[in-house]
Amino acid sequence: MAGHSSTEQDPGLTLTTQQPVAQQRIVDLLQAAWAVFVKDLRIELRTRYAINAMVLFAACTAMMVSIGTTFIGLRRTEEALLIQASLLWIALLFAAISGLSRGFVHEEETRTLAALRLAAPAIAVYLGKFLLNLALLALLGLITSLLFIVLVRVQVGSPLAFLGMLAAGGLSLATSTTILAAIITRASFKNALFAVLAFPLLVPPLIIAIQGTAATLADGGGVVALPALQFLIAYSVAMFVASLLLFRFVWEA
Amino acid sequence: MDIRLIVEEVAASYGTRNVFAAVSVELCAGETMVVSGQNGSGKSTFLRLLAGLQRADAGQITYLAGNEAFDPRDAGHLIGWVAPDLMLYRDLTARENLRFFAAVRRISLDDHAIDEVLARVGLAGRSDDRLAAYSSGMTQRMRYAYALIHHPPVLLLDEPTVTLDERGAEVVDTVINAQRRHGIVVIATNDPRELRYGDLVLEFGST
Amino acid sequence: MVQQMAQVGKLLIGLWMAGVTIVMFLVIPQYEGLGNAGRIIIMHVPTAWVSVLAFAISAIFSGLYLWKRNPTYDDYAVAAAEGGFLFTALATVTGMIFSQVVWGIYWNWDPRQTSIFVLLLIYAALFALRSAIDDVQRRRQLSAVYSLFAFVTVPFLIFVAPRIADSTLHPNCVFIQGSTCDGITLDVGKIGLLGDRKIQLIALEREGDLVTAEVIVSEPGLSSETTLRPSFNLATGTMADRPEFPGVRYQLGLEYVDPSITSGLLNIEAPGTGVLDNRITLFTFLASIAGFTALFFWMLNLRANLLGLQWALAQRDGGRV
Repeated sequence: MAGHSSTEQDPGLTLTTQQPVAQQRIVDLLQAAWAVFVKDLRIELRTRYAINAMVLFAACTAMMVSIGTTFIGLRRTEEALLIQASLLWIALLFAAISGLSRGFVHEEETRTLAALRLAAPAIAVYLGKFLLNLALLALLGLITSLLFIVLVRVQVGSPLAFLGMLAAGGLSLATSTTILAAIITRASFKNALFAVLAFPLLVPPLIIAIQGTAATLADGGGVVALPALQFLIAYSVAMFVASLLLFRFVWEA
Repeated sequence: MDIRLIVEEVAASYGTRNVFAAVSVELCAGETMVVSGQNGSGKSTFLRLLAGLQRADAGQITYLAGNEAFDPRDAGHLIGWVAPDLMLYRDLTARENLRFFAAVRRISLDDHAIDEVLARVGLAGRSDDRLAAYSSGMTQRMRYAYALIHHPPVLLLDEPTVTLDERGAEVVDTVINAQRRHGIVVIATNDPRELRYGDLVLEFGST
Repeated sequence: MVQQMAQVGKLLIGLWMAGVTIVMFLVIPQYEGLGNAGRIIIMHVPTAWVSVLAFAISAIFSGLYLWKRNPTYDDYAVAAAEGGFLFTALATVTGMIFSQVVWGIYWNWDPRQTSIFVLLLIYAALFALRSAIDDVQRRRQLSAVYSLFAFVTVPFLIFVAPRIADSTLHPNCVFIQGSTCDGITLDVGKIGLLGDRKIQLIALEREGDLVTAEVIVSEPGLSSETTLRPSFNLATGTMADRPEFPGVRYQLGLEYVDPSITSGLLNIEAPGTGVLDNRITLFTFLASIAGFTALFFWMLNLRANLLGLQWALAQRDGGRV
């Protein structure tokens, strides 16, 4: 198949034509993906639909959990850490579900899908939206854990490992839901359907993320959490590759 | 560049209802085709098929550019598509929109070139307004800017002058005449003034 | 000719399944500790196997559809998912009945329960997705993508399974050849974990050839403790008395005692350990698996043909689907 590169190549870019064509195509693709990401980020910062929904959701959940649990005065037993980790990931999961479909659904609602489809390679669109979801999740993860530390009195025993688990869990969330967001844009009951489609795929990584996070809340839990970290990264890689292979079929449906 | 559009036995349907069946046509650079027919006869669907936005139920559409053959779905760089259902980002300004589409198409388009394109479609001076603030006529002009930035050899125009005023219609006339000199134009319309562009008229419906 | 063979095949499957059912209830022996409830495994394990098989077949046909775009493949993918959903539900229900009878609880989030629960969710999501998309072509394509995408998670479920629960109710050491429940060797006075139960070996007392252990068992999450007295026959080298854990049909066995009688090997003895050692049971079990698999393929074919017919009719009438 021939490349997507335009016939009107800018003379400034011919500098790179000595490189193999395949490499040039990948660079083009990544730059197009970056353009999609920057565009989406700009729109998101102007409209703040996803950020507002996600952060408000996380804040409400943290408040509720705080109201419900601070009176108990949990001892830091293994069970208590598991409960805290579960609550944290529940807040993260539902906040994420409320915002992660935004990138694609917004294109459908403003009917810009056709314009994007004609102009951008499918993979670039996927990568751009994926980056947006990663950015949203990074923000959400930081805000939610801060809220939990402040309001729910979660004490993090191994901060570095905790951040690692948060990042790996977020990566799993983003890799498994970005393509689903593209699938549901063409369906009715978008948001409910998004949750329904996403949940079964998130059971394995969430179980692992909750257990791993609980381990990192304890002192010196970094080593214990390492296998969980490996699992989440392997899961993310598998979902990411599957998404790359399948996205074209979604985009052209 | 040498460009050819080959349509072989193409059929489309909505669910189980056939819209049109077995359309075959071939166009070379410099030729203009007008597609006409009553509402619901499938003009817009046909143009969407040519743009690769929808898959034909049967038949084959091919673009030949130079020595390469493209499926419409991979021919985005050859096609400029203007249609009532083409929407651009309302939360971005005209300039940001064009900058974005140039970036994903991997063509360089500096501010000067953007001003030029916008001046060509009569939007000079409004380049830093968000599209949300545009009137429907200005939106239609903006669609031409979107369709022309990459100098496509094929222009697919669905109701080209809808919502445009006299000046706007003149802009479209200029665009079509310029395109006819070196490329392919396909126009879906029922407007008698636009039927005259066609070297070839494809009549849909009533069969 | 083909139709006749199909008729004969249908009849054969019917007879086969009837035979399996009769043998299951009347011929195969009861098992110590399991009672009549043990017979359900003849249904439970094959339905579980078919539900996983159906999922794989649905994914394969989804891939074929994306590749070839032949609506027939989509019909088969849908039919496999529908059949799979049915069998998954059956496996879940039979499993829950057995679990309640033998172990005293319906649901435990044990690895296989978690996997089959996820499988149920995936099937349900697939049907929800299909019903939410109006355009036929788009519905086929998007559900095929989801089916394949969901299938990618299966290896991870299998990997996750052993990690999510320390103890499983599923009797690996009962049914699966080669897997063992090792038990634990304790010195007198020491505490250890057997599954998720804490046990303490209080004393070992010898009377003739019989060694009786006094063991305190703490149930997980419960403050109650029970004292059990399993025993071991030194002369024959076999377990003698095997008391049941409170509330379940697992037994505590004393499998070995060292010659100086200072430590003993304690283990969970699942009732019906070695169920499949019995020839008749094993053959009935295999026949049941074969029968259910054939039944599934027959249903798959029937349903897919029906879907194809429906589509052809709708197209001919130009009506709506």
